[in-house]
Amino acid sequence: MTGISIHELGVAFSAKDGRVIAVDGVTQEVPERGFVSIVGPSGCGKSTLLSVIAGLYAPTSGHVEVGGRRVTGPDRAVGVMFQEDSTLPWKTVLENVRFPLQVAKVPKSEQLTRAQQAIDLVGLGGFERRHPAELSGGMRQRVALARTLAMRPSVMLMDEPFAALDQQTRLLLGAEVLRIWRETHQTVLFVTHDISEAILLSQQVWVMSYRPGRIIDVVDVDLPEDRDASVVATPAFNALQNRVWEVLQAESMRGFAQENAVPASGVPAS
Amino acid sequence: MTVRTKPPASRKATALPKARRTVPGLIGAVSIAATVGWIVLGGILAEAGVRAGWWEPDVLPAPSEILPVTAELLRSPDFAPDALRTLQELVFSCLFGVAAGLIVGVGFWKAPGVGRVFEPYLVSFYAVPLVLFYPVSIVLIGINQWSVITLASIMTAVPVVLNTWMGLRSVPPVYLRLAASIRCSPAQTLFRVAMPAAAPYVFAGVRLGVVYALIGTIAMEFTTAQAGLGYQIRYLYESFDAVGMYAYIVVVLGASVLLTAVLEGAERLLLRRRTVR
Amino acid sequence: MTATVSQPPAGGRVLAGSVGVAVAAVVLWEIGSHLSFVIPPPLDTARALAADLTDALFLVNLRETMLAATAAFLLSAAIGGLIGLGLGLSRVARLLLSPIVTAMNGVPKIVLYPILLPVFHLGYGSKIVMGVLFGLFPVLINVMTGVQQIPSVYWRLARSVRAGRWQTLRHILLPAIRGPLLTGVRLAISLSLVGVVLSEFFATKYGLGRVVLRSYSAGDYPNMMGTILLLIAVSFVLSLLLWRMERRVR
Repeated sequence: MTGISIHELGVAFSAKDGRVIAVDGVTQEVPERGFVSIVGPSGCGKSTLLSVIAGLYAPTSGHVEVGGRRVTGPDRAVGVMFQEDSTLPWKTVLENVRFPLQVAKVPKSEQLTRAQQAIDLVGLGGFERRHPAELSGGMRQRVALARTLAMRPSVMLMDEPFAALDQQTRLLLGAEVLRIWRETHQTVLFVTHDISEAILLSQQVWVMSYRPGRIIDVVDVDLPEDRDASVVATPAFNALQNRVWEVLQAESMRGFAQENAVPASGVPAS
Repeated sequence: MTVRTKPPASRKATALPKARRTVPGLIGAVSIAATVGWIVLGGILAEAGVRAGWWEPDVLPAPSEILPVTAELLRSPDFAPDALRTLQELVFSCLFGVAAGLIVGVGFWKAPGVGRVFEPYLVSFYAVPLVLFYPVSIVLIGINQWSVITLASIMTAVPVVLNTWMGLRSVPPVYLRLAASIRCSPAQTLFRVAMPAAAPYVFAGVRLGVVYALIGTIAMEFTTAQAGLGYQIRYLYESFDAVGMYAYIVVVLGASVLLTAVLEGAERLLLRRRTVR
Repeated sequence: MTATVSQPPAGGRVLAGSVGVAVAAVVLWEIGSHLSFVIPPPLDTARALAADLTDALFLVNLRETMLAATAAFLLSAAIGGLIGLGLGLSRVARLLLSPIVTAMNGVPKIVLYPILLPVFHLGYGSKIVMGVLFGLFPVLINVMTGVQQIPSVYWRLARSVRAGRWQTLRHILLPAIRGPLLTGVRLAISLSLVGVVLSEFFATKYGLGRVVLRSYSAGDYPNMMGTILLLIAVSFVLSLLLWRMERRVR
């Protein structure tokens, strides 16, 4: 069983204007094969939270368990997808997708079949020998997605993977992620600042507050599992969106005010 | 030449599959033709100048006189020892300098505090007042190729260190997070992620280093040495053999242009797929 | 476990470290001077330099070198800046000229000295020209690439506010390339000096290059070392100052 359980997690670090509490007392569960999104204003600790789950960052307090095992560092069973373009420009699409498998010393023939499957799954068939420079931003994120999928992780952590893309591409890729998730049924934790993206994709949405980053609301998305983008027009979707937005609006305003305030009125150091 | 030798601007956000692929070839051809044209034009001017009596032939002899002597020189048995000496000095300096530069550059990246401490010196010696240490080097090591190789290696290493370090510092952090997330070992992170990502900078540094090695080697041979192409130019100059001297100058100029072209070509080849053409 | 970068030490500690490196170099030098008789001890060198600096003839040599280097630098910056500007602005000029500029940049300029000497004669002429040959290219190439790398939106901005040529140059172009320009100037200062001193190694009446070579032939190593260190120190201090400026504008 490879759910994610987060126990009393806290992350603090020192910044120019004093100590910042990015994540504070978060205790949550992502069920095995669940798809959960975290939304929150920019600058809240959602990416930090994801980094801790990925084992890329050590928490200040509390701990995370993935599949019942305590996270102490990166794990190849946990795939991470980043917001920034992380395709390596000196490698072709195929080489990029193979790269984690080479690092993991997977036998070569298996590397190729798994990479090819992943490439086909994200709809990049025919582009294997292209270099990232020849692809659009959306296609590069598909490459990154394929690379994560090729590792066949049981958990996928996605850190605003489509944030840098335009709206149409983002919708399209969101639909792809949903389709792939229905095929593979990995446990997915998806970070975004886009409420409709979160609702469209996931079974549950966590709303995170501005510093200190806490989960201030958990919204179950009771929309049909085989939904597509047309669900956006339904009253049920709107109701969910309004609910999340209400919680988030106050938070965003608070975050905005704090970002632009003098440091002294910021979060008191604890 | 510059510390800020930036790699070509990062790739565009839009896809341009196969667009305008023939144009760069044409541009290259025009550039090469222009370069050859300038050299030929210079030759014609020099020839005309001597014939019209604008200057004495012992100041700058006619190319029609120099070139046959150059051709003869390349075949003569006297040429090989000096050329080999210079080549040997150049090759050793480049090997030592590049190796040391890469190691130190990576070291500074791993220990940025140490790098910052040495940075002001490296930056100031970047433009090579190091050549001025040549008399010191002779006193310490003696008049032989090792005094040249020692200094030329240092001159090569400096731009390699600075560019390797800067290249590694400008590796997008997400590449390193990716490497960590797929559990690359430190060696894999360095050799398969960080160094390839820094390659445009590193290669620019190597290119500069090799050019400095050539410039430094010839300059030091010219100043005080007992063999090498630089020495021959000085020797023939002092013995008023203008044509012989120019033959050597042509060889050195030709070799350095060739070296520059080879490095430029190698750089293009190495980085060719990284940017949209 | 974490992907965090270790905090770089504070400015004061870096400075102390850099000074420490210099001190360590002097200590090594002192140790070396005890191991080998050809290495003059640091103290003797300092004394020789101090004596030189009160010597009238040395001061003439110093003045000669510094004047020539200053002239060479100013000419390098002016010529290199103008050509670089032209090449940066004109695509056609770049197409026709940039390969030959690159090629000439890679040429060991010292071999051109025998050509310069009869043309520009002994004394200032030939060494200034040599200094310019050394210092020209870094300014030229940096300005050229600097102008090329100006974001196109700046040009559109200039056009949209109907800025004239001169206004565009003053308010857009020069500020936009000040980083690479400073880099080029910094390199040109050191290289002009190197070019001047190298040509003083040969035929000249006065100049520190001549002092270095004469002390070398006479086996007067403290004097040689002192003069070299003086030259290095001048170039070091100037390029350090410019480098600091560069980092501030970056």
